[in-house]
This record gives sequence, C-alpha cells and structure tokens, in this order.
Amino acid sequence: MGRVSVLLLRRRLHSSLGLVSATLLGSGGGSTLPKEVKMVKFTAEELRRIMDKKNNIRNMSVIAHVDHGKSTLTDSLVAAAGIIAQEVAGDVRMTDTRADEAERGITIKSTGISLYYEMTDESLKTYKGVRDGNEYLINLIDSPGHVDFSSEVTAALRITDGALVVVDCIEGVCVQTETVLRQALGERIRPVLTVNKMDRCFLELQVDGEEAYQTFSRVIENANVIMATYEDKLLGDVQVYPEKGTVAFSAGLHGWAFTLTNFAKMYASKFGVDESKMMERLWGENFFDPSTKKWTTKNTGSPTCKRGFVQFCYEPIKQIINTCMNDQKDKLWPMLQKLNVTMKSDEKELMGKALMKRVMQTWLPASTALLEMMIFHLPSPATAQKYRVENLYEGPLDDVYATAIRNCDPEGPLMLYVSKMIPASDKGRFFAFGRVFSGRVATGMKVRIMGPNYVPGQKKDLYVKSVQRTVIWMGKKQESVEDVPCGNTVAMVGLDQFITKNATLTNEKEVDACPIRAMKFSVSPVVRVAVQCKVASDLPKLVEGLKRLAKSDPMVLCTMEESGEHIIAGAGELHLEICLKDLQEDFMGGAEIIVSPPVVSFRETVLEKSCRTVMSKSPNKHNRLYMEARPLEEGLPEAIDEGRIGPRDDPKVRSKILSEEFGWDKDLAKKIWCFGPETTGPNMVVDMCKGVQYLNEIKDSVVAGFQWASKEGALAEENMRGICFEVCDVVLHADAIHRGGGQVIPTARRVIYASQLTAKPRLLEPVYLVEIQAPENALGGIYGVLNQKRGHVFEEMQRPGTPLYNIKAYLPVIESFGFSSTLRAATSGQAFPQCVFDHWDMMSSDPLEAGSQAAQLVLDIRKRKGLKEQMTPLSEFEDKL
Amino acid sequence: MDDLDSRYEVSRTAAFLRGRAYTRVALQFPDEMLQDAAAVARALRREVGSGVKVFVMADTAYNSCCVDEVGASHIDAQTSNLPAFFVFGKAPLDVNACACSLLECSRKSNKRILVLYGLEYAYALDDIKRAIQESCPANSEVQYADVLCSVMSPSSISNEGNECPQSSGTSCSGDLCIDSDVAAFLTNCSPMEQSGSMRKYNLGGVTWEIADEDNMDDYMIFWIGQDNSAFANIVLTFNKCEIVRYDTIANHLSSDISHLMKVLRRRYYLVEKAKDANIIGILVGTLGVAGYLHIIEQMKELIKAAGKKSYTLVMGRPNSAKLANFPECEVFVYVSCAQTALLDSKEFLAPVITPFEAVLAFSRGREWTGEYLLDFKDLISSNKPEIVSTKEEARFSFIKGGYVEDSCLQENEEQSETSLSLAEVTEKALSIESPNKDAILYQGGALTSIDYLKARSYRGLSGEYEDPAPDSVLAGRTGRAAGYSHEQTESAQ
Repeated sequence: MGRVSVLLLRRRLHSSLGLVSATLLGSGGGSTLPKEVKMVKFTAEELRRIMDKKNNIRNMSVIAHVDHGKSTLTDSLVAAAGIIAQEVAGDVRMTDTRADEAERGITIKSTGISLYYEMTDESLKTYKGVRDGNEYLINLIDSPGHVDFSSEVTAALRITDGALVVVDCIEGVCVQTETVLRQALGERIRPVLTVNKMDRCFLELQVDGEEAYQTFSRVIENANVIMATYEDKLLGDVQVYPEKGTVAFSAGLHGWAFTLTNFAKMYASKFGVDESKMMERLWGENFFDPSTKKWTTKNTGSPTCKRGFVQFCYEPIKQIINTCMNDQKDKLWPMLQKLNVTMKSDEKELMGKALMKRVMQTWLPASTALLEMMIFHLPSPATAQKYRVENLYEGPLDDVYATAIRNCDPEGPLMLYVSKMIPASDKGRFFAFGRVFSGRVATGMKVRIMGPNYVPGQKKDLYVKSVQRTVIWMGKKQESVEDVPCGNTVAMVGLDQFITKNATLTNEKEVDACPIRAMKFSVSPVVRVAVQCKVASDLPKLVEGLKRLAKSDPMVLCTMEESGEHIIAGAGELHLEICLKDLQEDFMGGAEIIVSPPVVSFRETVLEKSCRTVMSKSPNKHNRLYMEARPLEEGLPEAIDEGRIGPRDDPKVRSKILSEEFGWDKDLAKKIWCFGPETTGPNMVVDMCKGVQYLNEIKDSVVAGFQWASKEGALAEENMRGICFEVCDVVLHADAIHRGGGQVIPTARRVIYASQLTAKPRLLEPVYLVEIQAPENALGGIYGVLNQKRGHVFEEMQRPGTPLYNIKAYLPVIESFGFSSTLRAATSGQAFPQCVFDHWDMMSSDPLEAGSQAAQLVLDIRKRKGLKEQMTPLSEFEDKL
Repeated sequence: MDDLDSRYEVSRTAAFLRGRAYTRVALQFPDEMLQDAAAVARALRREVGSGVKVFVMADTAYNSCCVDEVGASHIDAQTSNLPAFFVFGKAPLDVNACACSLLECSRKSNKRILVLYGLEYAYALDDIKRAIQESCPANSEVQYADVLCSVMSPSSISNEGNECPQSSGTSCSGDLCIDSDVAAFLTNCSPMEQSGSMRKYNLGGVTWEIADEDNMDDYMIFWIGQDNSAFANIVLTFNKCEIVRYDTIANHLSSDISHLMKVLRRRYYLVEKAKDANIIGILVGTLGVAGYLHIIEQMKELIKAAGKKSYTLVMGRPNSAKLANFPECEVFVYVSCAQTALLDSKEFLAPVITPFEAVLAFSRGREWTGEYLLDFKDLISSNKPEIVSTKEEARFSFIKGGYVEDSCLQENEEQSETSLSLAEVTEKALSIESPNKDAILYQGGALTSIDYLKARSYRGLSGEYEDPAPDSVLAGRTGRAAGYSHEQTESAQ
C-alpha cells in the first residue's frame, strides 16, 4: 500500500523563531501520524482577534521526564490544530529543528506553538466556566525533559497557567517529573496528567486489564502524592482524577488518546445514567458483571466480573488493537461501525500496525481528548491570574498594578514579564519573549524596563525604551501585530540591548509599579570549562560570543578566573556541550575555540576544632588577633544555603533556630558577626571575646578579611564551606591610627588561614544524585560502571508490575564526565542516567599529608590556577609571641 | 677597593661631576646595593675632593630606578629637575656563545631578528656585533638596538651614549644606578615615534628603528639578559612577536615565555575586574617621571567620565597594609614608571592596574586587542578618552557572570566638588540607614567613600556614647608591643 509517511511536526521557538517544521524522526517501527495535516490556516488578523478573548485562552506547558514522549505528543497536537499562516500552508516540510536535537532524540530548548480548537456545543454543554464562544486559543510550550535544561522549564512555567504532565505508563513518575511538578505547583500552575505510551501495554508488554489498571492507578497515585503536598486554598485541589477527567491515557507515538469522558459519553445513554455518574463507574473500585448486568463495589469473584475501567475502556481498545494487528478485517468493520468510526476507503487497505494506528487515530484522536481536557480543566489567564498575582507581583497586592493583573485587565496598565531572550535570525540580536499579564503591549510603545536589580524608587537597572515591533508567531512565520493584549505571550524587537535575561515591562508613565518577581532556578551550574580562542586576535569575538550565550541561556554562567581564563559553567555535561556548540557556531561565527577538560569546583572545610588558639600579628606588630576554627553543625551550611539562616535575619528568629535545631547557646547566636563568602555564604565569624576594648572598631576590618579569606581558602583558593571562625581574643594598639584596616584586614585573613590549617582542613567535592531506570539484565553493567566511578547505590527498587528497576546512587561530579556514554556502552544502551547536583561530600584523605589523594587534588587545582604549587605553610600565617 | 671602583665606575662618575662642577651630589642606590653606599661615597669624595658634598639617600620613595627628586632636594642637591648621571653595572657574558646562539636563531627563523638586551650587557654589544660579522659577514637579517643615553640634564638630553668598555667580570647583575634618573631615561620617549620613513622605538633604555612599512610582528626579538622586569616589559609590549631569550647565566636559548603570557592573561583579568569598580584610588607612584601630573589629571577625567569616583593617594611604595587602609577602593591605578608599573600580589585587597589598563577598563566600548603599553606617556599623546554616550547597553561583567548596570553618571555629577556640599552629603548620608550594609562594605556596592563610611559599623568617635561609661578604671597593659609584660610571663610559663 501507499508509503507510510512519517510526519512529526515540531516547532522550535529557539533557533527557528518557532517555525513549523516537519522532521523525519526515526520512531521505532515507522509510525504513522495523520496523513493529511489539518493545520489551521489563519491570517494574523484572525489570530489576533482570538487573542482578545481572555477567557478562551489556555497558556500551558508540557512537562515530563526525558524520553517520556512529550515532544511526540506535542507533535500530534500540532499536526491537528497548529496555527500556521495562510500563505505558507502548503509548505510545512521545512526542516528547521536543531540538528543536535534530532540526533539525540531529545528536546533542548523549549518551544512554543499556538493551537486553535473549536469546541462543539455538545462538548461544552457541561462546561461551567466563563467562556466567550466556542473558539479556543491554546499557547503550548514544549520544554526539555533532560535535567540539564530545567532552566528552560522554569522559564516556560512562568508564562503559563497550566501544565500537561506526561508520564510514561510503565516508568511512572521519575525524578525530573517530580522536580518540575514541584516547581510548577510552586508557581501555582494547575496540572493535568496524561499516562503516556499506552501502546506499550498493548503491544510490547501485553499486560492484562487488571494489571494495567493497577499500574496506571499507581502512576496516578505517585503523581498525586506530590501534588497533595501543595495544598493551596486559592488553587484548590490540584490532584488529578481519571473519574473527573483530569487524567488522560495516551499513545503519543500512535496519535491516540482518551479520557474517561470519551467512554462515559458512549456508555451513559446505554446505562441510562448521566455522564459524570458513568465516569465515576469507569474508575476505582467499581465492578461490572455482564452476566448479571450489575455494578458492585467489590469483585464478586465471578469470572465475568470485571472492573469498570477494564470492562469498558481497556478491553475494547485491546480488542480493536488485536483485531487490527491480526488483520481480521471482517470482524473489524462491524466493530468500528458500532463505535461510529468510519474509515476512508484507502485507509481500509492498510494492514497490521499501520491499520491499527489509523483506526485508533480515527476513533480516539489524541488531539481531541487532550485539547478538550486542557480546555475543560486548565484555567484561562483570566482565572489563573486571580490567584497567581500573589506569586507574581512584588509590590502591594492592593495597588493598581496588582489589581490589573488579578483581573487580567486589557485596559489596565501594562505588566509584562520577559522570561527568555530568543536569538533572532539576525545575528547578534534577540527577541524578548514573555507574557502580558495586564494591559497591552503595542508596536512603537514606550516602555519602562525594570531589570532584575531594579529597586523601586531608584534609577538602577531601569530603562525607558520603545518597542520597535511586537511579534507573534504563525507557525513558521513571525507576524508583526499592532498590539498584544494581556493573557498572551509575545515577542518584542528592539529591547534586547536593555534586557539581560529577564525583566518586567510597564508603561512609560507607571513610575510606581513594582517588578514581577524573578524566577528561581532549581539547578545550579557545577560543571565548568575554560575556553580560549585558537587565534589570539579572535578574543573580541569570544567575548562577544560569551555575552550572547549568557543572554540566550538562563542557566549558563560566563565568568573569568583570576588567571584571566574565560569560564563557562553549566548544569551538566550535556548542557555544557550544547552551550559550547551554540557559542562557537551561532555566537562566534564559527571561530575556533580551545576548550579545557571539564573542571569541578571544590570547597574547603575543616574536620575538627583547631588544635590550639592561633594568633597573627599585624604588619606593625602592634595588634594581635586570636582565633579558632571549627566545623559548623551538620545541616547548618545547608540551612544557610537555603536562606533559612542569613545575614538579614531577625536576630531572635535566628537565635531560636540555632539553639533549637543546632544546639547553639542562645547568647552566642547573637554574636555572629557575618557570613561569607559574598556575605551570605555558609561560613561565619563569631565573637567569643570578653570585654575587649575597641573591638567594635575592628569588626568591619575583620569581616573584610574574612570575606576575602573565605572566598579563597588556604588549601587551593577554593571557597570555604561549613567553617565557623571564633574570635577568641584581640590585642589592639591604643592609638586608632595603628589599628586601621591596613593593619587588621591582612591580619584577619592570615589568622583565618592559620585557624583553618590547624583544624584538620579537608576538601569537599560535589556529588550528583543519579537516577537510572533499566531492566534487570542491565543492572550488572550499571553497578560495574558506578563502582569504577566511585559511585554508590543507595536505593534499588523494582517498579511494581514492570521488569524495570529504579536505581538511585550518589556519584562524585568529577567522575561524571563520560558517565552517560560509559553507562550506555556497558548496558547496551538500556540505561539512561539523570544527574542532579545533590550535596557536598567530604573527602576523607588529608590534603596536608603529602601524596594523599586530596593533596594531589590540591596540587592539581593550584597548578591549574597558576598558584605556587606548594601550599603556603602554617608558619607564614601564624605568629608567635 | 678597585673592585668597587670599577663596579660603580667611580672615576667616570667623578669626572662627570668635576666636568660640570657640581658641589652637592646625592647618591641613590637600589635597596639591594645600599650596603656599598658608604664605601662608594667615600671613594667618590676622595676622587672629587672636599669641595663637593656627597650625600647618600637612604631610602627611595618609589623605586630604585626612579630618581627621588623630592628627597634629593631636601639636601639641596643641585639637581633640581634634574641632571642625572647613571651607571649600569656590567654582567658577565659569554660573547661567543651568545653570538653562536644568535646566528643559529637567524638561520632557523625566516623573520628578521632584532637584538635587545638588558642594560648591564650593553658593554658587550660591540663584541657580539663583531663576532657575528666575522662568522657570517653577509648576514643582514640581524638588527641591534642602541643604548639611549646615560646622562640626563634638565635642559637638553645630551647624547653621551658611550658606555665605556671597562673591565667585566664583576658579579653584579641588574641595573646599577648611581645618581640616575633612569626612570626618565628609560621612558623619556614613547616606545614608538614617527620620524621620516622610519619608526623609532624606545623601550627599557634602548632604542631602535624599523622601516615604516614593517611591523614589529615581522621581527623576532632576541633578548640577551635575565628573565626580569625589563624582559617582562618587552614581552608584554610586543606580545604578538616571537621572542627568544638568551640566558646569560645558563648560556642557552629559551623560548619559554608562558609565564609572562600568564601575566598578560592575569592583567586581562584585572582589567575586567576594574570595570566593576565604583571607587578607584589613583596611586601616585612617581614624582619624577615627566608628565605624571598630566596623566593623573587624565585618569581623574577618565574615571569621572565613566561615572565612577576617584581618590588620589600618595603613599610611597604601595604594600598590602597601605592599600588595605583604603578598603573602599575597589581598584587602584598606579601611576609610575614603566619598569615598576606591574604590581600584582595575592596580598593586595584590591587589584593595582596601570594607566593603560585603566583606559581599557573605563572607556566603554574599548576592547582588549592584545596591544599593551606600560608607559603612560603614550596615553598622554593618545587622544582624549571619548565619552561614549552612556547607557547604550548594560555592561557584561565577566567577574559577576552577568550583565550589570554601571552607576549613573548624572547622579554622581549632582555632587559638586565643593567642601560645603561634601559636608551636606555626608550629613545626609549618615542620617539615612543603608538597606544592605554588607553589600556596600564587602561587595563593591558603595558609589563613594561616603556610602562606605555610612555603612561601617564604626565611624570614629562620634561624641555620643551608646554604651554607658565604664564602671571603673583599670590598669592597662605595660611593656613593649613586641610582647607586653603580662604576655612575656605567660610565654615564659
């Protein structure tokens, strides 16, 4: 029969400015999506018209663990309802996907697409919310599932109100699903769930109905466990329930999906009950025995008694699939007729799998089920902003701006959050991409740009500039529009020079508006490389490229070492790899760069209290500082990292936490001088002196010395972590001129080093939490690789009802380079790890003992940094009387 | 005494003094040679007779190579602005081995070779020339730099560049200077100046010319001497040239200049760091080098134009303790002679950069192109820093790893520089409680030292005592600071 055409549509907002593209992605066994793509042809004016209907808009993101099939699912939605510009409708096969994405089969940059869907009056019958006609505009953002790119997800969540959580029906809720879900709930994003890859149950695993039900309900329960922890009065119950229609079951690859609504509609009339009643029967402990035609809440034990879901949803699907796969067409046609499914004549010629897909797509089209679920259960901007305003707006919640956001008021003052800078085809320029929360943004309008460091009332990080153009995307084309009203996403031209990564925009005259809260990222850049250009004269290109890279990616950090090397830091190996590629190819015009091997930052800490009180004299010998170092209590550095304890605490609260959780003396807690490095770091100086004259005069100088020393520890000039420095005594010159900063700052630094070196200094190394899913036969390989890489497994769990194991392990970051590929090689590609930075782990060996592993590390770091190879000895820092 | 005599060229110096009939002479020695000062002074006195008063300047305010004019004028040395005579020692050099290396170099390289050298080897240059001429008379690929001059007089620079060939074999190395304004000498002209069809370079006391159409990159630099600051100057200034160094002690060639390239990268970092600074200290590191006042003014203007605040500090030779007395300064610009311009130490609280680096750092839109100047004279001649229209774009800081907002120019201009307004601002500043003192004190959040002062927890005696008066008056410590009496007993136990 006719060729099987594989048409996966993918829109990449990032590199392509959201062009609709058709890419041929090898998807196992040659999948068929709808042969004819029913994309919606629109003019910019038509699209613009729907954008005014704030109750009929849904802004949503698709979130999931890597490889749970969200891009595939998104593609099937796009194929059915994607909006493209009228004039390019015939030209959708333009390949514009990032080649690296296609190659790896994963999404790297989040992508956005607008979908148009017209609901029937019939389906809207039960819709209770406010609506404005039957036309709906769905702005959908597909974001990467790999943990290295979760900053993209964060940016996507900010501008959406709802989330479609995609979970593999076999693998269940994985680490990344959980991370992102928590993030979403924290942003007050309402979720709906789809249990994906249903096809695997029917074809690959041949699971029977009851077993499948158990698996699905466990998956849903796992998701609900996470959601249940986010109780929120305004948002209401965020858990998902199949019987309420907030859970869908989908086979993204095959293009079909259903919610219990589909089946309830089918059966409601047959059983003479209303739809909602029927839906309840189709899930949970409801059993039906066809022989007695009775519903029970327990399995009666009769062989014909089956769970409602199995009886009425799972089995019919299974039957259809099996009939198709076995080419029993004589049986198939009558069944389809019963289901009111009509096939075209040429489709009737299809065989086996192709036939099955076609039939399923016609019967239970994924787009209908999913889009209707979103429209029904996800909030419109008008609804969502009512409760999101608290999360979003930094200013008083009763001012005019908060009110405008709350009401999603297009006539109110402009409040717009720029979540992302998107590189334009015009090299070196960026679109500012974001969401209008109130008012409208228009071409030529003068806006106030409030950057992340803007402080209301000050001029810092504030610009007033004109928007050159407001742009929306129609499939692959960007269209300029006059203006964009609230509730929608928008891209703006002409602001890129004034926006670094994020910003809040308001009208020029709204001088008293506060900015929208900045986004918080869940991952931190721990892996770094040094880059330099091959040709020295390319340095300006490199500098420019790094600036652009920093702009285009919210997570990447471009800095410089003290030695003058340019550093790029990313969340993981993969992230770095992508950054380097973008840097060289997109931002440096292909100029060659030399990349150092990946480098990991360490931390310096101490194991015990200093063996003695150490003393250093000032350069003029007239002042003496006495200090001791000791490790901070376990958990305290983390508490400081999280900001639970910090420099700007209320001393009483701080004292309470320290005394109750960490066993500090209450009075001592009030004597903390400072935190550091950078005034907020996980080290501190505590005043233990009694009755010292002039002590208040030197406090600032000691703190300055501490900020300096805690940034560059005595071992290898890495940051210190978890050290408490106690000022035991000071002797000061009676004359103020001889105890100034010049005398005290260098001395404080020296005495801090001396106390660090006398307190059994140790190195801390960063450790990843690794999560791996793999079948049993791959476990040996996984353990082997982990052992070899100093990793250790702390949890191994078989996923109930599957042959898959879930392994959690700790892996030193320094060993993680090449870990993915080694692991894949050792398990014939069956294991795919996800690494997230988890904690700092103390290296047991003594860096002061020549030849130890830690000493070697210190030596390597010092060499790399261009320091003297030998550590400065204690005698240089400590003075004797 | 003969040894001393020849090493310090006492007789030649005496001849010079007698020839000009000076009566008050100050001798300035580098620190490491101060031990010979008395003997040299005695010898000199013997030579010139009792009519001439000879002084030894005990401590140099800045660098051993810069004439301490102020110090010298204290004793009325008749040298005001400033005839000076300087003597470089002579370091041992194996002329033949050096010539061999040079020839080998010229065979291997397809570039022309420019021979530069430490001044202590200047005496041997003729020998080397001769040796090359003899062994390879056709070689025209080697060019030699000349010594500039060894006598400075205020009115005109007399070109008495004849380094007398005297006995070699003494063990001193490094620049030996007596009564010398080497600083002015070393840098009296910009490294590059145009004259006819030739471009003339002066650097480190030597001078050479290359044809106008040639580029310094076309030459390979052959350096005779130690790996010292003079060499570092050459490497940094001509960092794109191929450079080999003939090590005069080990007698071999070395082309390893990676440590100096590291210095260059480090300077690049310091420039980046300076860009983030709001408060800049201008350190006056010379009172002798011509044009220092001019460059200080220029620096002030530059810093002001960049919307930053500058304070001019005279502190003699900087060290970490002196610099740390101004913790509000986030970077220091060190105006000094080229030989000592590069100051870098782990001990410094804030980086110290050169005027050239300051120009790079504080003029927006200037990129580091690899060009590097150590001598601030060239900056004077270069165009005034153009004030780029501010607020074009947020600046990317590689130190903070993100875009940052430079402080607003207009805001700073509001504070006009009268003493009254300063007092007003101080008063106002002290009355407003700062929201984040930590950021101001330790993270460069201060825009002026007034901001800094108001954030400090201790601001000097205020007259208002927060604490009640002490209960009783107690006896304090006694003894010397090296160890008070009670401490000594402690340590004795």
